[in-house]
Amino acid sequence: MAVAVKSKKKLSIRDFSKPSEQLAHVDPEDLYPLPPPYDKVEEQPGFKRLSEEAKRKYEATLDDTMVVNIPKPKDKEEEDKLVRQFVSGLEKLFSPENNWTFLQPLTLSMEHCARCQTCIKDCPIYEASGYNDIYRPTYRSEILRRLYFKYVKGGGGWWKKFNNGDIELNWTLVSRLLELSYRCTLCRRCAQSCPIGVDNGQISHDLRKLFSCEMELAAKDLHEKGTIQQLTVGSSTGMNALVVKDNCEFIDEDMEERTGIKVETVWDKEGADVLLIHNAGEFLAWPDNPGAFALILQEMGISWTLSSEIAGYDGVNYGLFYDDVQLARIAMRHYEIAEKLKVKKILMGECGHLTKAMGVVGDRLTQATPRENAMAFLDGVVFSGKLKLDPSRNDFPVTLHDPCNMVRSMGIVEPQRRVLRHIAPKFREMHPHGVRNYCCGGGSGWAIMSQNNFLDWRIQVSGRKKFEQILNAFADEDPGAETPKYVCAPCSNCKGQIRDLFDYYGAKEKSGLYYGGLIELVVNAMVDIKGRFIDWEIM
Amino acid sequence: MTFLHFFVYITIIVFLAAVIARGVRIARMPIHLRWDLYPIPHEKGRAHYGGSILEEVDWWTKPRHKDHIGELKVMILEILLLKGVWEHNRKLWFGSFPLHFGLYLLIGGEALAVLGGVLHLLGQQFLFLQPVITVVIWTGCVLGVIGTVIMLLMRIFDSNLSKFSTPSHYFNLLMLGAIYVTGILWLSGDQGFAANLVGFYAGLVSPSVMPALPAVAFWHIGCALLFMFYLPFTHMTHFFTKYFTYHSVRWEDETNRPGDPLQKKLDPQLAQVVTWSAPHVGADGRKNWVDIVTSPAPEIEKETK
Repeated sequence: MAVAVKSKKKLSIRDFSKPSEQLAHVDPEDLYPLPPPYDKVEEQPGFKRLSEEAKRKYEATLDDTMVVNIPKPKDKEEEDKLVRQFVSGLEKLFSPENNWTFLQPLTLSMEHCARCQTCIKDCPIYEASGYNDIYRPTYRSEILRRLYFKYVKGGGGWWKKFNNGDIELNWTLVSRLLELSYRCTLCRRCAQSCPIGVDNGQISHDLRKLFSCEMELAAKDLHEKGTIQQLTVGSSTGMNALVVKDNCEFIDEDMEERTGIKVETVWDKEGADVLLIHNAGEFLAWPDNPGAFALILQEMGISWTLSSEIAGYDGVNYGLFYDDVQLARIAMRHYEIAEKLKVKKILMGECGHLTKAMGVVGDRLTQATPRENAMAFLDGVVFSGKLKLDPSRNDFPVTLHDPCNMVRSMGIVEPQRRVLRHIAPKFREMHPHGVRNYCCGGGSGWAIMSQNNFLDWRIQVSGRKKFEQILNAFADEDPGAETPKYVCAPCSNCKGQIRDLFDYYGAKEKSGLYYGGLIELVVNAMVDIKGRFIDWEIM
Repeated sequence: MTFLHFFVYITIIVFLAAVIARGVRIARMPIHLRWDLYPIPHEKGRAHYGGSILEEVDWWTKPRHKDHIGELKVMILEILLLKGVWEHNRKLWFGSFPLHFGLYLLIGGEALAVLGGVLHLLGQQFLFLQPVITVVIWTGCVLGVIGTVIMLLMRIFDSNLSKFSTPSHYFNLLMLGAIYVTGILWLSGDQGFAANLVGFYAGLVSPSVMPALPAVAFWHIGCALLFMFYLPFTHMTHFFTKYFTYHSVRWEDETNRPGDPLQKKLDPQLAQVVTWSAPHVGADGRKNWVDIVTSPAPEIEKETK
């Protein structure tokens, strides 16, 4: 049964255009309460404020944080120019030439919302913020809707105002709207509950696209350090092919040392059956994961390869979150590499957005080499009978996080559960789970964003519901650090966010919380490896 | 032809033309990138937990079994009982359900009256329909009034709704309320209500059989026609565009495997010229989507030199 919603911050839609020092603010006391021992506000790490210098240089009038770092215009003339650019982008956003990619869903969401607010109860950010109006999934959508009817559908006549309301367009609105498009993780939980089928997550996505494709304004971590770097250097991590090969050599050696099985990563093997593409963040932050894939593929006798081509060893596609052109460029690059290597299929590593971008969203660009997700692959591996598995080696409490992109947006729900039920005797679900899961709080690329004080915000606001869910999933266990508890998060981005959540709250030390992927549990259960693969000491 | 006839015909023409135009406009929009949202009810054997064929190893080699009955069940529960609102916004459901179900019954009653009118013109017996028409419309109007009052109160006093409501939200509810209230007044003051309603529909085709209607009937018919006249120009067209939000977006999971026919429809879209202005896009007024996404943008070329 849904909870009653009471909004603490009273903001009207028109307030959005009214210049003020800061439109919205979240007090720690407003935040959704966490279970013990994280329930005392005074014991929490606190919420850093934006520096005065940052406020002086950039547009920071939306809320307590800042993602895009929008330079302040020099004068009114420049402001007006930017507003005109925005209107031009708005028109293109509703043109079939520029936005054939999402025109139909966007138009449907613009024209048919009943403003019933049914969706707001499903947004973990709105709830965690203490029901701050600005974070309603409907707030930014309503602003865009009013602009759509005023500037795209033509005129500001009485019928338009009567039907759809009105709003003043100025630079204050434009700059705030850009920032606000980065206060939604695009998890689409709200879209599931809309009786009409309106998708506020997609509206946030298309707003980001307008700013990126028309005004060259986007979150630096997604654009310059993300897609641009990936298409030039080879990876959004900044690693070139030499570095990643070097890393893999080290990973292979480490795997042999820890498992007793000699592992050899294969590169650029033409005619291999499988091209494996990881999120390159795994090589740096969680090398056990690519190591485990290499070991399993080898032990299964599968002919496989990695690619050392530009973007070939990094399946990340941040274009999915903000820019269809960049999305298409990277997706096409991945498909071309698979074609060139003449592989039978691409195996997509444990990463939700990678799986969605490469697996289904990019599917409408070309008829590419078939792609298989890691969950289905591991399901096949575990139940193939080719590996000897001993579930008692995973004799610790395990829960499962459902990555939104893979589960809610692709319907990959059961394979990972079948695996866990088979190899992890103390597996238990979070609630809610499956397609009704909560986002980790780092969705849409946020997990790699920590500039200014955004880390504080995404931990304390957007990740709050997930942290509560994790704690509740282990409520029947010893609450202390003596009993290690494993959060299985088969997604690089989600792991990044969960890592930051645990670090921030000291959850490893206080509650014995650890996290990792699915394949690590499979390898840990393998009878043929020496010792335990999952080592709490080094996690 | 009387003014009433003119008003009825013009309303029907405007209503149908506007609904068809909107439907065609949406249906003819380009095929978008896949944006499925689970659960998808036609996923046979998996819909109950939200699964898809992508859960299979080598899924592209497996036959797809679509459960159209399952899809129909979800649609019926959603359309008739507003199941989504029941599950996600119970408070709203207590207003929204009677408002909508009342309308369904009213429309159902009118459809029966049209049937009666046809029988009447054909010289057939239609008396058996009259009690059914009366009961259905009575129930519909009572439910409708209850729903309208609850929804109006919520729109006014619930700050979650009021700050997002435009004048049209209140006007629409008042119009619906007026239809229901005048319907009740006509029903309660006219013992020959059903016969008169049947006669009214028959009279639209054959004016000589048009009965003498009470004044309140004209208010009722007038309100209904006015509502029908402007409805296609509002968000209330969700009564049929919901088909697209579900079937063309949420549940649209057509694959584009080698050999699938979809690519032929996509190719013209990819041949469109891009005019986005940001430098990294690299649009020059001539390049189409294929040109743009298969070659580095100018900014990227500069960095690689």
